Amino acid sequence: MDDEAAVDLLIRAVETPSVSGEEQAVAELLVERMRRAGFDRAEVDEAGNAVGHIGDGARRLVLLGHMDTVPGEVPVRREGRLLYGRGSVDAKGPLAAFVAAASRAGARAGWTVTVVGAVEEEAPTSKGARHVAPLWRPEACVIGEPSGSRAVTLGYKGRLLVDYRHAQGTGHSAGPGESAPTVGVAFWNALVAAGEELNAGRERIFDQLTPSLLSIRSGSDGLEEWVELTVSWRTPLWFRREEWEARIRELAGSAELRFYGGEVAVKGGKQNPLVRSFLASIRAEGARPRFKVKTGTSDMNVVGPVWGCPILAYGPGDSSLDHTPTEHIDLDEYLEAVRVLTGVIERLCA
Amino acid sequence: MASANCPECEGDVALGDDAMQGEIVSCPDCGVELELVSTSPPKLEPAPEEEEDWGE
Repeated sequence: MDDEAAVDLLIRAVETPSVSGEEQAVAELLVERMRRAGFDRAEVDEAGNAVGHIGDGARRLVLLGHMDTVPGEVPVRREGRLLYGRGSVDAKGPLAAFVAAASRAGARAGWTVTVVGAVEEEAPTSKGARHVAPLWRPEACVIGEPSGSRAVTLGYKGRLLVDYRHAQGTGHSAGPGESAPTVGVAFWNALVAAGEELNAGRERIFDQLTPSLLSIRSGSDGLEEWVELTVSWRTPLWFRREEWEARIRELAGSAELRFYGGEVAVKGGKQNPLVRSFLASIRAEGARPRFKVKTGTSDMNVVGPVWGCPILAYGPGDSSLDHTPTEHIDLDEYLEAVRVLTGVIERLCA
Repeated sequence: MASANCPECEGDVALGDDAMQGEIVSCPDCGVELELVSTSPPKLEPAPEEEEDWGE
């Protein structure tokens, strides 16, 4: 796949809307382009993922990107070498680069190179990644997320959410008792303080337990008053969910709690053939490689603990543009990422 | 077995016969992580630092 075809693939993918749950059109586009680009097999699987394979070797490299985007139309347009559009960075740029690089590298003796455009990465379900996780045991995996073409992302924080509800009989606001909203705010302050205790001495945000109050609601029907909070934590590698849930239950007293959305933090090692291949391939572009760790989550959190293989995330684009109304990608950086990835496949699957 | 000097402490860092460009190794003397940026001759540079980034 030459540069012109690689750019055309990206533009067509960005022009095809694919909000989570509505990825069918872009999946069909990707499958058609993978077949045209020399993939041996390509299809839309039962989950709706676009999946293509080159080669039939026993050793497998999985390039796992995602096709879906968050809502919010960003009109597709070119400004010089910049391509604007929803998903251009997160994460059709990385995914299109996977397809182009796998095509350029071609069949590798003893290996199968598998490219996945997953559905619903932006949704809490992570449906596409959960579907493929039990299917293979790859030797290495690259997650398609924007790291910039000269950097690799080694890890992501995890996540945990809780819904809190406290209810009590109504009282006069001039009386001595605390109102339900006051109890809710005190709970929030207590869990912030509990997290700060655990974070003591940890300087990086990646290493900290970071809470976020997503919503707070209160009400009364004249006989009962209540307060409801939804809290999210970005969790570090050292986080132990069971211990933390027990601590939160202590702080919540008799309130109702519902924990959900748990994703374990994940971080790949550096001393492995996958990282080595990326560093050498980035240096071959005359660039100095960089490592990143990210405070968000990705499909690495889903497949990393299952596959247990060397894993990292890579892709062109500036992740600070993720989900923004000015999302855009530099096509020259995109093409550099295609070259880097081609070099990675050639080095790793030699 | 090949070796190269640590750019941080001048210590001798042994490299495996199959060491390849891009390999990350640790200096046995000062513990710093190093990247093998070339193999002939073997040359080590400090490995990239880990930067924090937000998002996905």
